Amino acid sequence: MIATLGAKAIQDMINAGRLGRFAWRAITTSARSCARRQTFPLVWTQMNIIGVRSVPVVMITGAFVGMTLAVQAYDQLAGMGLEEHLGVLINISVVKELGPVLAAVMLAGRVGGALTAELGTMNVTEQIDAIRSMGTDPIRYLVAPRLLACLMLTPVLIIYADLMGVVGGALVSFLQLGINSRAYWNFSAYGVELWDVSIGVIKGFFFGGAIALISCYKGFTCKEGAHGVGQACTDAFVASFISILALDFALAVTFKSIYLTFWPLKSLVG
Amino acid sequence: MDEWNDQADQGGQDGPVETVIEVRNLTKRFGSKLVLDNVSLAIEKGKTTVIIGPSGCGKTVLIKHFIALQRPSAGEVYFRDQRIDRLSEHDLDDIRTHFGYLFQEGALFDSLSVAENIMFPIRQHHRDVTRKAMEEVVKAKLAMVGLDGFQNYFPANLSGGQRKRVALARAVALNPEVILYDEPTTGLDPIRSDIINELVLKLEGDLNVTSVVVTHDMKSAYKVGDRIIMLHNGRIIADGDADQIRSHPHPTVQQFIHGQVSEDDLAVLRMSGVVAQSQFLPRDFEK
Repeated sequence: MIATLGAKAIQDMINAGRLGRFAWRAITTSARSCARRQTFPLVWTQMNIIGVRSVPVVMITGAFVGMTLAVQAYDQLAGMGLEEHLGVLINISVVKELGPVLAAVMLAGRVGGALTAELGTMNVTEQIDAIRSMGTDPIRYLVAPRLLACLMLTPVLIIYADLMGVVGGALVSFLQLGINSRAYWNFSAYGVELWDVSIGVIKGFFFGGAIALISCYKGFTCKEGAHGVGQACTDAFVASFISILALDFALAVTFKSIYLTFWPLKSLVG
Repeated sequence: MDEWNDQADQGGQDGPVETVIEVRNLTKRFGSKLVLDNVSLAIEKGKTTVIIGPSGCGKTVLIKHFIALQRPSAGEVYFRDQRIDRLSEHDLDDIRTHFGYLFQEGALFDSLSVAENIMFPIRQHHRDVTRKAMEEVVKAKLAMVGLDGFQNYFPANLSGGQRKRVALARAVALNPEVILYDEPTTGLDPIRSDIINELVLKLEGDLNVTSVVVTHDMKSAYKVGDRIIMLHNGRIIADGDADQIRSHPHPTVQQFIHGQVSEDDLAVLRMSGVVAQSQFLPRDFEK
């Protein structure tokens, strides 16, 4: 029992080390690829696949998050006579937390799954070996464009999700719950700062990187056969999901510390 | 066994020859499974060397070491006197352009057309080549394998034989010095197999390339091979030209080249025959 647990722990450490090495190679190669003109068309293609085609699903996710928040929070605020503050609650939750996290989870499923399946299939059909055999680095050709596209477009997609979350929440508040729109927006403007929106967008950068690295790694290391590819896709989604939640927590703590450190200085600048 | 190994060591070593690839004491393990066991081998320039052996004996793993797609557990691999098994992937990029590798299933890129597949290595290594010049190269390479006009097809729309021929056109796109063929005729009908064999011979004649062919198709081995090496259980048990292999005294070599099942395998089949002969009827399950 102890031996089994020990062996499993050692194997997990080895896998974590491999993922770390893969991530380091992918990041350094991607940084160098930014200066290569040959990379641009590959990144452009991936931006279309990863970003443009994800817009509808991310917008729908954002809209429902905002609408649901409005319905759920109204009763509690109305009980205290604070229903006109509903906009603050919805919008700050959407832009700071729920919009980025749920949009990233949606991307982990839609984009991450597709990346792992595509690269996993290339791996088991020896297409990745074929790239290597022709003297081309598969990390540069396959991973760098996907990583760069995810890093650039996940924050943009989160802005779309935020926008639709704000619109969805407002529409339900005005049309279904009958809240005064002027008061709704006034309280929202007072309670939600640029800092809150920025946190959500910056989180998207990290979430996008995690989704791309984990999905590409799982594709590159997937086992033979249809079962191997399927298992790799499942593993990639689970690992991406957990990473998104862990990163969200770590970034929340970090940004709060930064905010508390620099908040007193704001009055001096303003 | 030493008697046979002595013979293996003597085969194909008539005089001084120029070596392109050399492996010394190569051992490869996957976990606890020993795939290659202390293999030493030199591939001669301008010749076609065929590696035969039963499925799973380590043939593909061996030729993947020639191009460092696999790294040895122990031993050394040389390309033109340069040790390559310890080089980084980045340093190997240039060396790999001297090789063409025909993968068992072709390994064509699904998302690219036939023309784009063949252009791939040219684009990666010759950035200044114009589109028109690349199209001309593609046309010439496809004509060589008898598939000119298939430029805009995608791999999914090709037959198995056509895919292998396109993969061969891609493998020779950079006019390599060495071509490695992994089971080039497996899964093809006899006529398509012979077309591939003729292409191997044509490339050797036209481009003066060094070829290494992994196969278990003896007809193909005899036709294209200047030298035939047999692997068994991760070791070289025979090495010589076609005539030497035909008359080789090692019983495993004779079984393999004649496609005969061994007594051990027959014993297993007889045991399973007990089950096969018992035709299960509905009444057998009634109780």
